[in-house]
Amino acid sequence: MNSMQRAWRSVIRKPIKTLLLLLVIVTISLLILCGMASRNASVQTQDNTRQAIGAGLRLDANERNRFKRIKEASEHFDENGEGSYGGVHQKIINTAWGPQWSSWADNSFDSLQMDDIKKIAAVPGIADYNITTVITPALPGNFNRIEDADNDQYADIGCVSLIGNRKMALDFNVLSGNVSIKSGRMVEAGDQNVCVISEQLAKANSISVGDALQFKNRRDPGNTTIYESTVIGIYQTKQLMSPKMSGDTYRSENIVFTDLRFPEKAEGYENDPLFEHAYFKIGDVDQYDSVKTAVEKIDIDWERYDLIDRNGNMSTMSSNFNDLAKISTLLIVITFIAGLVILFLIFVFWVKNRNHEIGVLLALGCKKVNILGQLLVEALIITFLSFAISFACAPVITEVAANYLVTQQTEQAQMQKDINADKVLTEYRESEQTVVGVNVAVTDEMMAFCGSGMISLVGASVGIAGISILRKKPKDILSELS
Amino acid sequence: MILEAKNVSYYYKSNKEALILDNVNYGFDCGKMYAILGPSGAGKTTLLSLLAGLDVPIKGQILYDGKPLTSKGLTAHRKYHSSLVFQNYNLIDYLTPIENVKLGGKGNPETLLGTIGIGKEFWKRNVLQLSGGQQQRVAIARALASEAKLLLADEPTGNLDDATAWDVIDLLKRIAHEENKCVIVVTHNKELAKEADAVIRMETHT
Repeated sequence: MNSMQRAWRSVIRKPIKTLLLLLVIVTISLLILCGMASRNASVQTQDNTRQAIGAGLRLDANERNRFKRIKEASEHFDENGEGSYGGVHQKIINTAWGPQWSSWADNSFDSLQMDDIKKIAAVPGIADYNITTVITPALPGNFNRIEDADNDQYADIGCVSLIGNRKMALDFNVLSGNVSIKSGRMVEAGDQNVCVISEQLAKANSISVGDALQFKNRRDPGNTTIYESTVIGIYQTKQLMSPKMSGDTYRSENIVFTDLRFPEKAEGYENDPLFEHAYFKIGDVDQYDSVKTAVEKIDIDWERYDLIDRNGNMSTMSSNFNDLAKISTLLIVITFIAGLVILFLIFVFWVKNRNHEIGVLLALGCKKVNILGQLLVEALIITFLSFAISFACAPVITEVAANYLVTQQTEQAQMQKDINADKVLTEYRESEQTVVGVNVAVTDEMMAFCGSGMISLVGASVGIAGISILRKKPKDILSELS
Repeated sequence: MILEAKNVSYYYKSNKEALILDNVNYGFDCGKMYAILGPSGAGKTTLLSLLAGLDVPIKGQILYDGKPLTSKGLTAHRKYHSSLVFQNYNLIDYLTPIENVKLGGKGNPETLLGTIGIGKEFWKRNVLQLSGGQQQRVAIARALASEAKLLLADEPTGNLDDATAWDVIDLLKRIAHEENKCVIVVTHNKELAKEADAVIRMETHT
């Protein structure tokens, strides 16, 4: 009877010993698989979520450069300080207190330049772009705005706020997750004379998608010209948008998203738009740095602009999920170390408990290496049985464990965000950190790694514990037993 | 002469002062049963261990077929030249009688178990379910399964009642005479020792 036959009989005829080891190996295997699946899920989730959140570059006008250009323009005015140059105008107004200089600039002076925007949008890696106009007040025509009855409206200009967008889906309020469509659709590039209104405004005026809204130029004293816009969507907000200025004109419910060129019409400056921001969405967030470098190399007057990173949440998300990946790796390492110790102790106990058998086999002329081989075969038989159980249970258990870890991590990130919420006053809103694509799959590679890891672990444990067998003398064992 | 102890001395390494065996010389032939008789501590089991190749003497040597046991290794001696029967049977507890006998060597286990009087109904039971006498018979069958010329038994009747003990001694005697084996039995029992072809008396070393 050889070692293999003895090993098989020992496994099936000593069920308690077998079940104990089976339980331990199943537990260790499942912990390793959980760790690996969580790590994999975190990396995948991180990638998916980063791609889903997206990242981009924001183009704003540079304020310091604006003053510089005003100063340069003023050098071209006459000796009285009056004149027009490059969209900047200055005029003397006689008042009761004496002459006063009144200065103003055309929209073209302050606006982002469409040519520059198009050059940036053409850079490889830029998937899409949006242009947002300055908030433009316009008087409501055939509808009433939302007003706070307790507010004195004397100082308010009685308008609603228009925000023009080339592509509303890339508006910062939408990207942040605060604004979403309740019915209808958002403004798309190429739309003309369309708008998306708040659910409150729609409800208060019984406006539906497809209705036409009328606006009037607040600077037109007679309010003679009507600017009509078709409602294509109704939006909702998670929380009210921060007003840019005081007064009901700028309150969240009165913000109307329009197509890009509508606000300039409603303000009476047709063909002189004032583009405040441009946002360039980067197709593959992993290419963020290279795309940004390519954008910076474009030949435009960069002194006029600020190019702002809009990928803050990428690093937040990365750090959160890197932590999860680290925890998962730590779980695997700890499980391996603890597994080695536990298995070693189990096999030491095995060897000690089977002293009699080892002594008899040695007395019968069995080689020590064969006895060690028998223990290894027994352990491996149980290990393979454990694999069958572990791999069968793994998909369910790892999903529960990994989802738990991912949820914990997301909750922790949210908690941290809430704690920091009141610390800094900022208009900037991070994009929503909705975790998408949590895919906890136990792959063949994971099973192969777990399997080979466990076999190595069992082999090492049996080997270390079996050193005592190699040192045993049959006479000592048998004397001890008798 | 199949087996010979030549100037064999032995002491435990933990107590070098206490000499267990002191210059023992003796030769053993096939076809005979030898009884090693003596009081406790006389070194009977130690001598049997050395003859079985479970240990090596401190001085002198054990020769098998004229060659030292160490020449081919003690493990080979235990596997091919000698077979052992112990007082406490030393069967493997998770194996059946048939499987235990198979451990001993290539001999047919069913035939051997039948020969020594273990009924067929016991062959596939767990060995721990057998009586002491039956377990000792299984141990003897295991020893017989080996083609070894030597059968060494350490107090084989120590745990058995008188009737069973006599059966076992008869069996060992028969094995020596009918199968031309060299059977060496360590025993306290002088009556049983009388059944042997030769008795080796050992005294406590002073």
